[in-house]
Amino acid sequence: MTFELNKNYCILTNSINQNLLTKLNEYTIYNDEYGYKELKEIIENYYKKTIVFNDCLRRLRQIEKKKLIELIHLRNMNYINVTSNIEETLLCDYIYVFNNDELVMEGQKEGLLQEEKLLKRLGFGLPFVVDVSTQLKYYNIVSKIYYDMEELVNDLWN
Amino acid sequence: MELSKLKGSIIGIVSGEKKDYKDLAEKKVNEIIKIQLDKSLKMVGLEPDISAHLFKDLTDKDKNKVILASKLQEREIVLYDFSKGMIKKELETFKRLFKKLTSFNKRIILYSSDSELFLNCVDNIYLINNEEIMYETDNIFDSTIYLDADKPRIVEFIYKCEDLGIHLNEYKDLNELIKAIFRIKS
Repeated sequence: MTFELNKNYCILTNSINQNLLTKLNEYTIYNDEYGYKELKEIIENYYKKTIVFNDCLRRLRQIEKKKLIELIHLRNMNYINVTSNIEETLLCDYIYVFNNDELVMEGQKEGLLQEEKLLKRLGFGLPFVVDVSTQLKYYNIVSKIYYDMEELVNDLWN
Repeated sequence: MELSKLKGSIIGIVSGEKKDYKDLAEKKVNEIIKIQLDKSLKMVGLEPDISAHLFKDLTDKDKNKVILASKLQEREIVLYDFSKGMIKKELETFKRLFKKLTSFNKRIILYSSDSELFLNCVDNIYLINNEEIMYETDNIFDSTIYLDADKPRIVEFIYKCEDLGIHLNEYKDLNELIKAIFRIKS
């Protein structure tokens, strides 16, 4: 895996284990003992470029995740988010997909999340908004795949 | 809080409470699951070779599975933050297992802030503060329960449509939702 400084990454895996985290040894990794306030403070005082979240965004509310990501952008940082939750892939630019420690797919979010069959076969499924818009596109109700629920709902009914 | 006061066979409690199970850290899995080890492991989707592993060396996901396996013989099974580390397919599998367990007259109590775990799974959802029941509902579309948690995505979607004046029924199944949208749009 390589990580560019101008992109945010998601490592999507069905097993968040030590083998996988070892691959990120060069970074400081934050686990899920940190809540929103602690993570905000950490980011505000962070002096390195890249921060790694080990499944710790999962417990935050969507609004809190968005605020943290805005703060990361403001501070000209980037992040790597290790997660098993397919919904969190929507927050990043580039996705690595692991199946039992094996890297099985990688790519830009928009391309990778269209690999519906493979993601479902691996058990991750699709993010809700991608799943809905994929099916609506199949019925010619929408013309593209959406990655933002607000945008989908607005385009669908306006 | 008296768990017996809670209604339903599968109960969701909106809570960020976690358990670290420090007392189990140095124990092997086969010391934690004391009854019907192999059968219990199989029921929760773990391989038999995990039985010699120390609890502290397991992934968070497998820790939760081991805890569940160790409680399969109990009448009341209380689980904390059970969806941690799980992928969608596993969650669906465990929701089916929970329903199966209730047919053996067991109650499952799920403490979680992950409302997706409650969707198509629990009978009742509770808000609790300092061991006191503050609110209860059997409707996952009840907005009161989302003071401290996000809505499941399908619920959020239907709420957003409602905001634009589009009324959709309270669908909990994606295919049913798609069919409803198709009917309106065609």
